[in-house]
Amino acid sequence: MKLIGWGLFAALLATPAFAQNPRYQPDPEWRAPAEAQARENPLAARPELAAGGRKLFIRNCVECHGRDGAGMEKKHSADLQLSLVQQQSDGTLFWKITNGNAKCGMPSFSKLPELQRWQIVLYIRTLKP
Amino acid sequence: MIATQLHLMKNFHLAILLPLLLQLPSAAQESPFFVTYTHHMEEPGNLDLEFSTTNGLPRSGQRAYVAPYLELEYGVTARWTSELYLEGQSTSGDSAVFTGWRWENRYKLLGREHWINPVLYLEYEDLNEASRIQKEIEGGGPDLTSPNALLSPTRDHELESKLILSSDYHDWNISENFILAKNFSQSEGIEFGYAFGVSRPLGTLASGRDCHFCRENFSLGAEVYGGLGSTLDFGLHDTAHYFAPVLSWAVSDNSTLRLSPGVGLTHETNPVLIRLGYTYEIQDFTQRVAKLFGRRP
Repeated sequence: MKLIGWGLFAALLATPAFAQNPRYQPDPEWRAPAEAQARENPLAARPELAAGGRKLFIRNCVECHGRDGAGMEKKHSADLQLSLVQQQSDGTLFWKITNGNAKCGMPSFSKLPELQRWQIVLYIRTLKP
Repeated sequence: MIATQLHLMKNFHLAILLPLLLQLPSAAQESPFFVTYTHHMEEPGNLDLEFSTTNGLPRSGQRAYVAPYLELEYGVTARWTSELYLEGQSTSGDSAVFTGWRWENRYKLLGREHWINPVLYLEYEDLNEASRIQKEIEGGGPDLTSPNALLSPTRDHELESKLILSSDYHDWNISENFILAKNFSQSEGIEFGYAFGVSRPLGTLASGRDCHFCRENFSLGAEVYGGLGSTLDFGLHDTAHYFAPVLSWAVSDNSTLRLSPGVGLTHETNPVLIRLGYTYEIQDFTQRVAKLFGRRP
């Protein structure tokens, strides 16, 4: 009985791993210019706007990055919880959302208003484990 | 005649509006334009189903009509979008006819966002002369006076190209389309047309709650489009031109309703051209189809 219990526990832990992308490797050529990297989030002083960012994230990003932002192996999408993503500046994340990376299947989200893209950056910061 | 027209419009618009009642709150971002293309492409793997109508109110010598069309828009890659159209037309006091199909492809030339973003557009059309959806106007514009019995037997095999230039500036989108079309079925030379559009979302910040009527769910704009004659008769003489305000409302996460009451600026147009469209986006369409056929995604 105890063994079944441990088995179920292990299965529960393993389930989300199927949807994650722990082997995510960033594209070395996908680099924001220095000027874009240095941009500061104009909404940084309004963390309450991350709730709107969450809504936008669910609408536009979940399809590839998953509800928890952990990425999907089959889509080669970034695990946004990883420190190599979280270490990037707000400006870099904004630039990546704006331009996308067609080579890796990441579309450009320049169709979203600028402030909404900054709201997504605010929300990505909350994914930090 | 007007009563028949209103009946036709009522039935078709009911079919479009009905699915809206089943939607949950929230929002998707779609361009509000009907004619002008921007550089924003369909997300890869997603399929948009669009049901639209072009409704022409008549001037003297013309008949009112409803021209419905179905559009399937698929994101092949992040820079390449492909679309298939099936279209028809029903003229008051005349008949209803299937007017043909179109297959278009758009390719975004630059990988990054720039001040001006060019997109190349290539379309093959197999239509008849009764086509009235007016997704673009080239040459002099469509024949709005002859009966369907005269127009529908004449088939047009046409190749159409566009240069789309589009810019995003402080949440405004400004787009210009330049059109070249060659009809291989008739000696019309190469025909020209244009479309210009400007639009902006009403709200630039997203609220944290789900809502139907938040400002962020609406985009407003205007477009101007028309024909510029052909290599045989270039210029504005005897050409159709419209000015049309546009409004889009993101009804849910994956559906958008668009409305455009256009005004004809020349004698070759309908005085009023009302366009209505409903878009439903199926996210991750490729994966869903793969699952359907038992392939492990």
